[in-house]
Amino acid sequence: MLLALLLCYVGFTALCLAMDRHHVELLGRQSSPRRRQGLRLGGGLLLALALWPAVASSGWGLGLVQWCAVLMLSALLLVLLIPYRPRLALSLAGLSLLASPVAVLAQ
Amino acid sequence: MKEGFRQAMAWLHTWAGLTFGWLLFAIFLTGTLAYFKDETSHWMQPEIPARSVSSEASLNVAQNYLEQHAAGASRWLIELPDDREPGLSVRWQQTPAKRGERGQFTEKHLDPQTGAEVQGRETSGGEFFYRFHFQLQMPYPWGRWLSTIAAMVMFVALISGIITHKKIFKDFFTFRPRKGQRSWLDGHNAVAVLVLPFHLMITYSSLVIFMSMVMPASILASYRGDVRGFFDEVFPASTTPELSGQPAALAPLAPLLEKAREQWGGGRTGRLTVNNPGDTNASVVLVRDGADRVVHDFGSAVTFNGVTGQLLGTTPEPSLPRAIAGSFYGLHMGHFAGPVLRWLYFVFGLAGTAMIGTGLVIWLGKRQLKHAKSAAMPFELRLVEVLNIAGMSGLMVAVAAFFWANRLLPLGLAGRAAWEVNAFFIVWGLSVLHAVVRRGRRAWVEQLALAALLFGAVPLLNALTTPYHLGASLAQGDWAMAGFDLTCLATGVFFTWAAWKMQRAAQPERVIRVRAQPITLEQEAH
Amino acid sequence: MKGKTRSLPVSYRLAVASRVLAAVLGGYIVAALASVSLSSWVPMARADAVVTGMMASFLAYLGAVIWCFACRTAGRAWLGLIVPGLMLAAVSGLAYWVGRS
Repeated sequence: MLLALLLCYVGFTALCLAMDRHHVELLGRQSSPRRRQGLRLGGGLLLALALWPAVASSGWGLGLVQWCAVLMLSALLLVLLIPYRPRLALSLAGLSLLASPVAVLAQ
Repeated sequence: MKEGFRQAMAWLHTWAGLTFGWLLFAIFLTGTLAYFKDETSHWMQPEIPARSVSSEASLNVAQNYLEQHAAGASRWLIELPDDREPGLSVRWQQTPAKRGERGQFTEKHLDPQTGAEVQGRETSGGEFFYRFHFQLQMPYPWGRWLSTIAAMVMFVALISGIITHKKIFKDFFTFRPRKGQRSWLDGHNAVAVLVLPFHLMITYSSLVIFMSMVMPASILASYRGDVRGFFDEVFPASTTPELSGQPAALAPLAPLLEKAREQWGGGRTGRLTVNNPGDTNASVVLVRDGADRVVHDFGSAVTFNGVTGQLLGTTPEPSLPRAIAGSFYGLHMGHFAGPVLRWLYFVFGLAGTAMIGTGLVIWLGKRQLKHAKSAAMPFELRLVEVLNIAGMSGLMVAVAAFFWANRLLPLGLAGRAAWEVNAFFIVWGLSVLHAVVRRGRRAWVEQLALAALLFGAVPLLNALTTPYHLGASLAQGDWAMAGFDLTCLATGVFFTWAAWKMQRAAQPERVIRVRAQPITLEQEAH
Repeated sequence: MKGKTRSLPVSYRLAVASRVLAAVLGGYIVAALASVSLSSWVPMARADAVVTGMMASFLAYLGAVIWCFACRTAGRAWLGLIVPGLMLAAVSGLAYWVGRS
């Protein structure tokens, strides 16, 4: 479930940054409509992509359950981190993105 | 009309949430605890060793024991150990039961390694929380009716909440702490929206689980009142062959496990039923382990002749509607969940509990603001305050008291298990009295502090009353035992923080800040 | 429905009580009728049809409850349950008469 978790966390961070309010709050500067769209698309794709490692390792039944669980967990983690440790929230996203290819090998 | 609709749903959400909130909080909390009921039972009966033995070896042990002690019985039942339930239990029935009745059973727990009978201290264990969350300690069937009604109200509250929450996408990632009432609402929305799939699944599945009881109209209509006929079709009755009267040695049962595994494409056997052991017409029914798949299988079974080992029959694959019902059941129970997923079930269950708890706090807090200037609170608000305190912090103190009773009550005490449960309810009742006598904040702080003390001291209590303390359990790799102690410790830390926060919030400058930012749910609805 | 008044008028309380009664009792009856209608007409084996009907009934119940509180008056709440209720009863009755069920 680790790869799925990493992908979901990055995906949700992207979706979060796609919102003006949070973009300013976390990155300190305004975003552009193109960036917003890109983040939204990228974020959504990553969330959908996270389904693959779950299903590949555990089949469709258990895989779907794991994917939903990982979605909810990563969302909770992100929303909890943003107000208390915004920089940690962002760096975790960066780390997760870097660690994903490694996690793919471990699949 | 749009405006009116949202407002109406806000009203519905508020009042449905309030009237059933305390009951739902208790149901959610005990249900969440039930996900670790096997581990809880293990901690509460530490004398019973947790040994991992293969299914085949355990089955041999069980067969030997039953051939010695229950040779003339009409039916044997054997529950094989698994990852979470390391015990081997056997039951037997001397005389067959009348059709449709349960019959009399003798039950024994065996050590899967030696075959000797094990006896742990008399306790309900984790089963208490499991049963409470849907039976509510009420006589059959009233508890189930009430908990299912509560589930329907929960469903209404969830949907009306979604409708009311206008900025459900805009505020998806919004959580602003340290802002008084605003933070409580943000928190309520966060644990609700971010974990919504779980909440919807848990709520709807609990309706499906008892649907035959609460919504029997279609059974009665389609089966012309023959309810038994419906159940026979959905749960094909295990037909017990006639007793031939001719004795024949029962073949070894262990090899049948492998045969069943082949039938199920690698599935595990959870329990076995041996009908007419020692007779030529003995049959062995192997039922698949519920933890095998997400779709809970109601009696996926393979039947063999007990003497020759010949395959007599298998249950067919379930139809789509039954598979869907099975999925609801399986998802709710979470039998299939491994350790990681089980902890996630626990976390999401706590999130649901927090969703209800924050809702109750917000309901009161909003109305308390209106009466902040007057000295006395109107009776209705005072009632809600007492129920909030006793229903939430009081309940948690009662849970801790249940564990303390398990360690402190004498082992030989008659009715020990009942007394542990009594301790739970007595302490819960006392928390109500305490909340009545002590005003608002003070009651919260005191009860939270007591919960912190009782939970935090569990590992110490364990070390003082049994030899299975944290040092020993960690050294032996008994993760259930160690995990329980550590989780209680962490819970104690959490309640310490909560009590401290509550104490600080009672300070004057905090009250002014809260008043300066009154929030109204009606504005939310706009 | 914002109760900002000191004490709410009796007519308001009666209206709320009426809606609650409609939602709880009337909603249950509509849900039960919906489950019977569904299980009578859906092209499945009997046991499967019944299971489907029961599982879906709670959605009907939800709809009924939401209607009872969303509509403009308490009277409309009852009407909005009675009319569909009669229709569902007719549908079930038709199934019985046709020989399905």
